[in-house]
Amino acid sequence: MAKGMYLEHYLDSIEGLPCELQRNFALMGDLDNRTEEKKAEINELAAEYVAKVRTLASEERVQHLKKIENAYHKCKEYSDDKVQLAMQIYEMVDKHIRQLDADLARFENDLQEKLDSGIQDSSDEKHSQKDKNIKEKKGSHGRDKKGSDQDSPKQKKQKNGTSPNVSEALLTMHPSDVLDMPVDPNEPTYCLCSQVSYGEMIGCDNTDCPIEWFHFACVGLTIKPKGKWYCPRCIQEMRKK
Amino acid sequence: MRKYKKRVGQSKAGRETGNGTGQVHADMDAVLCPPSPCRLNFPATRDTLTYEQAQKMVEIELEGRLHRINIYDQLSVVTEDEMLAQDLTDCNSNKENSVQSRARQRNKQAVSKSRKKDAKHAAKCRRSGSQCSSQSHVCLTHHIQSPLPKPTFRKVEKFKPSPAPPLPVAYYRYMEKSGEELDNEAEYDMDEEDMAWLEIVNQKRVSDGHASVPPDTFELLIDRLERESILESRSQALSQSTIDEDAYCCVCLDDECLNSNVILFCDICNLAVHQECYGVPYIPEGQWLCRCCLQSPSRPVDCVLCPNRGGAFKQTSDGNWAHVICAIWIPEVCFANTVFLEPVEGVKNIPPARWKLTCYLCKQKGRGASIQCHKANCYRAFHVTCAQRAGLYMKIDPVRETGTNGTTFTVKKTAFCENHSPPGTGGEGDEDNGLVGGRGSRGQRSYTLSPPLQQNQNGRKKGSATQQKKTQKKAAGGSRKTGVPLLLVPQIPSFRLNKICTGVSVERKNQFMQRLHNYWLLKRHSRNGVPLIRRLHSHIQAQKSEQREPDAKLQAVREELKYWQKLRQDLEKARLLIELIRKRERLKREQFKLQQAALELQLTPALVFLRSTLEKLQEKDTDHIFISPVNLKEVPDYLEFVTEPMDFSKMHDRLEAHKYISVADLESDFNLMISNCLRYNSNDTVFHKTAMQLREVGGAILRHARHQALSIGLDPSTGTHLPDKHTTNGSTVSWLDEVDLLLDPENRVHMSPEDQLKNLLDKLDLVASMRTSGGRTKRMRLLRREINSLRHKISHQGRNRRLLNGKMKEEKREKRVDKMDFITSHADPKKSTSRKAQEPSCPASSPLPGDAPPNPPLFTLETGRTTTPGQSNKSGGRRQKGKTKENSQSEDHDGFVEKEEENFHSKKHDTVASSVQEEAFNMVSSPKMGVGRRTSVLFKKAKNGARLTKEKSVLLQNGVSKVENGISPREHTPKTKLQSAKSTSPSLHQLRSRGPSTCSDSEGEKSHSLPEENGLTNGLKRQNGNSSDSEGCIPTFPTHSSPPTKRSRGKPAMSKVPVGAVNGVSRSRAVSQNNDEMDPLTLVWAKCRGYPSYPAMIVDAKMPREGILHNGIPIPVPPKDVLNLGRRRQEVTNEKLFLVLFFDTKRTWQWLPLDKLHHMGVDDTVDRLRLMEGKKPNVRKSVHKAYDRAMTHLSYVKENSTFNPSNFI
Repeated sequence: MAKGMYLEHYLDSIEGLPCELQRNFALMGDLDNRTEEKKAEINELAAEYVAKVRTLASEERVQHLKKIENAYHKCKEYSDDKVQLAMQIYEMVDKHIRQLDADLARFENDLQEKLDSGIQDSSDEKHSQKDKNIKEKKGSHGRDKKGSDQDSPKQKKQKNGTSPNVSEALLTMHPSDVLDMPVDPNEPTYCLCSQVSYGEMIGCDNTDCPIEWFHFACVGLTIKPKGKWYCPRCIQEMRKK
Repeated sequence: MRKYKKRVGQSKAGRETGNGTGQVHADMDAVLCPPSPCRLNFPATRDTLTYEQAQKMVEIELEGRLHRINIYDQLSVVTEDEMLAQDLTDCNSNKENSVQSRARQRNKQAVSKSRKKDAKHAAKCRRSGSQCSSQSHVCLTHHIQSPLPKPTFRKVEKFKPSPAPPLPVAYYRYMEKSGEELDNEAEYDMDEEDMAWLEIVNQKRVSDGHASVPPDTFELLIDRLERESILESRSQALSQSTIDEDAYCCVCLDDECLNSNVILFCDICNLAVHQECYGVPYIPEGQWLCRCCLQSPSRPVDCVLCPNRGGAFKQTSDGNWAHVICAIWIPEVCFANTVFLEPVEGVKNIPPARWKLTCYLCKQKGRGASIQCHKANCYRAFHVTCAQRAGLYMKIDPVRETGTNGTTFTVKKTAFCENHSPPGTGGEGDEDNGLVGGRGSRGQRSYTLSPPLQQNQNGRKKGSATQQKKTQKKAAGGSRKTGVPLLLVPQIPSFRLNKICTGVSVERKNQFMQRLHNYWLLKRHSRNGVPLIRRLHSHIQAQKSEQREPDAKLQAVREELKYWQKLRQDLEKARLLIELIRKRERLKREQFKLQQAALELQLTPALVFLRSTLEKLQEKDTDHIFISPVNLKEVPDYLEFVTEPMDFSKMHDRLEAHKYISVADLESDFNLMISNCLRYNSNDTVFHKTAMQLREVGGAILRHARHQALSIGLDPSTGTHLPDKHTTNGSTVSWLDEVDLLLDPENRVHMSPEDQLKNLLDKLDLVASMRTSGGRTKRMRLLRREINSLRHKISHQGRNRRLLNGKMKEEKREKRVDKMDFITSHADPKKSTSRKAQEPSCPASSPLPGDAPPNPPLFTLETGRTTTPGQSNKSGGRRQKGKTKENSQSEDHDGFVEKEEENFHSKKHDTVASSVQEEAFNMVSSPKMGVGRRTSVLFKKAKNGARLTKEKSVLLQNGVSKVENGISPREHTPKTKLQSAKSTSPSLHQLRSRGPSTCSDSEGEKSHSLPEENGLTNGLKRQNGNSSDSEGCIPTFPTHSSPPTKRSRGKPAMSKVPVGAVNGVSRSRAVSQNNDEMDPLTLVWAKCRGYPSYPAMIVDAKMPREGILHNGIPIPVPPKDVLNLGRRRQEVTNEKLFLVLFFDTKRTWQWLPLDKLHHMGVDDTVDRLRLMEGKKPNVRKSVHKAYDRAMTHLSYVKENSTFNPSNFI
């Protein structure tokens, strides 16, 4: 059966994911260690500098400081690498999620066709439908974010509200499952309000924006703006400069 | 008998309680006996009793009659053996004393039947006290009072309780067993058929030598079979659970299904009928069966009115069956009950003629009654059902009329034969009108012609025995239309059979099971497949309707889906985590950057600090003049003037190389840079101006930086923080005192003038940085005055020192220069113009005048300089010394000058001074027109023409020549006097140059770095440049040097010098503040609170009321109220206010103090800055407009004037 096939394929594809994640995380950990080493080195150098500064000629001082600066430079490189890695991993997982979503939608479609009569507990359905919607949105949100993260000129990342509706009917058969996805207390928060993501979000076009994502409502948007959009904070920053 | 006894117990219970224990006098056993007299004594009717009465009565109902026995009545005791025995059994059955000793039982018996526990208890006690021994009789005691009787009992050996008779139904309550319980027992009850069958089987078995099968086992097995079959059918039902979407009622052949009139399906035959068509007003719970399935499930029925089978039947009043539809159509027939549409009545009324009609459709005669075509003259006859089958036009107009019988169900019916069907409805016509087209086919499907020989053939009523659910919607088994009878009973596979009979011990099990199974199958068949156990049947149906998808497959799919969803959730979680990681790493990166910055601050705070200072300085260099080194290709002679080039980029390099340790290092380089620029570029070039400006602004920055450095506590040797940061700016309160202390000259006596100056400046900074408070402005003013005077003093001292050192060479050279200037300017008026063009050379070049090379390339650069004639003096002289090629005469002059020098050594001062003064006067006075009378003063002061002009030009650039202004009134006289003594120049010089001229002098440097003293600094600089000049002069007039200093100190004007510069504000303001009086009609920048500086014109408040003309331009007259306002305000503030007229569209008037006014049109840069002052674009625009207006005004004024200030500038 085709359905079995693509889900099977998906299973195959996802099999490698944990290893991949592990590898990347190991890499990150490695980088982190190196950064820590550098940090220790820097501290040493700094202490040394403070101790010897009186005796050092200006050239020596410059040299010494240069050393520290270099160390910092290295650290920064590591940090950049780590960020890059994290983004890559995110990318990867996100890709899988999207794939799964697509497959699930397909699967549900097939299922739908098969049991055209399977419309019983409509109340249940409605229930879970809501859930589903929320979840879907989340999913799509992440997706969008991903896209924008990659290419520095973030394109407008509006939530595409058209998540696979098709799947809803079936997915909703198990409202409990969807429901009991626990609210992760560590879920990343965004926006000026420091809430988790929900609904439509907009990303600040400043790549260095510390917040990155904003709820439409929190920044007073109802529709996605044309062109570049910067968050209030970034605008303030830019004004200062 | 027991019956009423019990009753008594029950009915009395409540009342007896009220009586308390021990009051039971009447033993019920007595009552029990039929012959008991009480029955006779107290026959009573059931009338109501009061509570009290009721308490004293015992009520019994005996054989339908009610008896009341007073409790105080004595009852005779009747002994009877049988009764006792009966009682005992009863007792047993009631479980009263179940396992106890017989004696006790008996005792109880004797007393018992107590109405309630209390009573019983009491009775027992009493009994124990008395003797209640024999089994055959019961004794009745009357003593209730006996204390705590002890129970005694004895065993009765021979007692045997007899079975109790069944209790009346009222005592039994039916407890429905739960499903599980039922499942465990055999629900099936044998009927006679089964008995017979079992008997036969058993006979056979016995004959074969096997044990017979008990009926219980039989029942159990049948039960199990039923269960199995149901399980089986359930799974089957699922596979064939198709919904018949086009089910239609087989009475009206309509598939319309309303909520109030749904189509019902018989659960056995799957007959589909409308509620109304079949007379089912209420949909029953559970299964619904059509009449014929209900009443003759095993036998197919035939309609008495037609030959067709199938369809909806009802019973006739005589026990036959008839189609509902037939009953409807045949006129003589009707329903007895029009709601339930049964029974069919009036079959007997059908005339024989109708019976005899031959159906033209089925051609059968004599079978059933036919109707005829309603068309007149058409006598074709047809059976109703045949007509339905054929799809004839049969229209029933649902008209209910009260018929002759009152309740007859009458409708208007029209049926036509084929030929007379209304046009358009024949054949496959539309279905709206009766039975046509599609309906015909429906009709066809609905009925089968019963064979002529009526056999026991199961019609389709035996259709699906599977449980077709009656639904409100159309759901039906699809089997109905197949002609073949269905497999009614699911076959039970043999392995299941084995399983079924495992718990049963029967000999020759298999054989018996087979037989039983077959028997069961047959039985089911005979019942049209109706299950033998009703409960299971309905139970399953209910189950089915509740959850109709216990589908394994669906379940599996769900499981799968669940799995995927879980996976999705896991992934989502992973994504969240990674998102967090990403955020974390970003934060870490940020943290690193911060850490680096922090460490840098920690290790090299001085560096960071200096860097920021340098950046601030660089910011002020808006034109980026100093940003990079001077391009030596463009100005190859640069190095000849400047020995040590300096620029911001170099400073940066030096900074990064840790060459600067303190602010002072940076400052020295900064000053070097500025002085280089000033040296190389003549004072009216853009560069020069910018340098001057930068020096002032930068000086402020540097001073501020120094303060900061101090407060931060930087270690100058390491560039790190001092170990103990001393907190500065400690007391904000004490500063006032400190300032005051410092302001008193007595307190500074011990300090050198330089220190004093420094202190004062520091204090000034401090005060300026304070929040505005009462004493602030005043103290600032005082401080400034002190500073000014100090500067004078210092410069004076410096000069005095110089005098002592007496550098003659320089003197000479100076003098020579002066002379030469004088000569050239006089001798060659033409030259002065050409000189103008050449003068850009650095004003400070005098120390090395002879080296000055021809500098044509520089000239090309300096296009914008429009020099005053006076300025040309010095530069011209220098140029001559430099042997500029243009002036071939210069060499001659040189020679001449030298000669002259020698010749007129003694009197040179006189001549030079006077001549220069004259010249300067000529040249300078005219530009001074705008500024007023100062020129003359200036002029007189100027001993050194070159220097004077230079100074003046600078001052002009700055917008004011404050020194002159301030000095003029008083100095005028002394100067004139001095003039004769030729001492003017030194005095002037002193005034201007406090730092006596030596460039290398630290004091001089310091004063350079303090740009607040704008005008003064300028003058000072100039003096640096011309130091040699002054030096040259000084020796000759040592005596004169001090008086001016003193004078200057006393001058109030001077005290105001350094106002604005402290804050880094443009110097022109500070300069303007020195101007005690702004001349009327001058254009100014007026600063109102809340607004940027705005172009305005000072208007003389005392101007004639009829108005005046300024150079032909009419000046508006201030309105009276404005004047009044100004007067009042002046009184209040005790300050001199100037009346200004803004150049806005409305020409607004305003009174403003002096410090709010700054000269306009004097310095382009300043003007430009002011133009940019406005923060909002619209404000800026209006300022621009006003500025334009002011400029136009200026140009008009100038046109008519002999002197054009702008030219001068």
